[in-house]
Amino acid sequence: MYRHLHEELEKLKTTSLKMASEVKDSLKNCIVAFQKMDTDLAQEVIDRDNLINSLEVEIDKICLRLLALEGPVASDLRFILGCMRASIDLERIGDEAANIAEATIVLSLKPALPFYIELGRMGEKALEMLEYALDSFFKPDPEIAIDVCKMDSKVDLLNDKIIKEIIAYMIKETPAIERSVYCINIARRFERIGDLATNIAESSVFIAKGINIKHYCQFDNR
Amino acid sequence: MKQNEIKIKIQNLNFFYGEKQALFDISMDIFKNQVTALIGPSGCGKSTFLRCLNRMNDLIPNSKVEGAVYFDGKNIYDPQVDVVSLRRKVGMVFQKPNPFPKSIFENVAYGLKVQGIKDKYLIEQKVEESLKMAALWDDVKDRLGESAMGLSGGQQQRLCIARAIAVEPEVLLMDEPASALDPIATKKIEELIFELKKNFTIVIVTHNMQQAARISDYTGFFFMGKLIEVDTTETIFTKPGKKETEDYITGRFG
Repeated sequence: MYRHLHEELEKLKTTSLKMASEVKDSLKNCIVAFQKMDTDLAQEVIDRDNLINSLEVEIDKICLRLLALEGPVASDLRFILGCMRASIDLERIGDEAANIAEATIVLSLKPALPFYIELGRMGEKALEMLEYALDSFFKPDPEIAIDVCKMDSKVDLLNDKIIKEIIAYMIKETPAIERSVYCINIARRFERIGDLATNIAESSVFIAKGINIKHYCQFDNR
Repeated sequence: MKQNEIKIKIQNLNFFYGEKQALFDISMDIFKNQVTALIGPSGCGKSTFLRCLNRMNDLIPNSKVEGAVYFDGKNIYDPQVDVVSLRRKVGMVFQKPNPFPKSIFENVAYGLKVQGIKDKYLIEQKVEESLKMAALWDDVKDRLGESAMGLSGGQQQRLCIARAIAVEPEVLLMDEPASALDPIATKKIEELIFELKKNFTIVIVTHNMQQAARISDYTGFFFMGKLIEVDTTETIFTKPGKKETEDYITGRFG
């Protein structure tokens, strides 16, 4: 009975790792595509979103089977719940990356605006958060998770700053309004990716310590 | 851990079968009107521990007990303690249903008669109450005079529970009461335990961990004669404090 449970848990871990790696690649590629206005790469990101979606469905199936048939408890149960939550967050990050890639294709048709570089940097920060979050999730290392929470406030500040700059630019340069609105959306999406990476980090704390630090980011027992 | 009224307090309990020590320095509290489950691999001492709570181990030659078991504040191992009266207060249900080869009625009435109760009406009333409490009344009310041996395994076990509760104990010790039963009979016993805890304090030994998780309020994990960890059942099955507990309940043992 237990051998089967452990085999299924191993399968859950492998599938989650695969999904994590696909999402990380997607995010990385959508940032590069934006920075270089590389429409081929952007299209690749859009096309790969289906694979990410199917991995989410696969993880759902494995979790449902484990919960219904194996009666998991303690760290196994926490790992399964953590993977279910993380797969939802990862799928959304995949969607955000695909949306950024779509915006990139539209923006690539017109001249660049001055804040593209800063937007790209914001994307890199969000990617760094995701990498740390996944590191904390699969190790699992709750200390890294706390670092991710701290990084999130920096990304939030960066988002506010960029949006202010874009709005100021829009007031002066009305022909750039459409592109500017796309850029505001991209900034919002990177900010959202930061939030989702934080969720994954919080799930890693739940897996490792069995405590819920959602919306809280501290280790005391709640 | 949430605090309830302590019914039994076990302090530094050691138990020996001859030279062989079976329990090592066990201290724990059993709370009133709560179900405490004892889990652990075979031979870990959980049944031995259970039998220490109503001095059933006294019957084993060359056995020796050290430490104290306080039942409502009084040490049951004090020489003055009347073991018969102790076992009336601390009843027991065993793994295999063991009805007497008598009628259904006589099985439940037996303990009452041994106690010297002669009032026929009172006995009938107690038998009915106990059978109702054991969720068996509807099954047997029309055939109380028939042999208990004709009942199914699950019914026999509920009859044994009715027999145990007829003498109005305060604590019920159950040693794997559902392990010889099919899933439906097991479910009935589990539901019964849930009902019984309103009136009794229950300590149950079980090999079925999901059963422990379903029915108990507290769970103690035994290993090699030691109590590794005791906590609320929710804590034990979601975030146990000790690695040994974690390894056992997730099947990563040894």
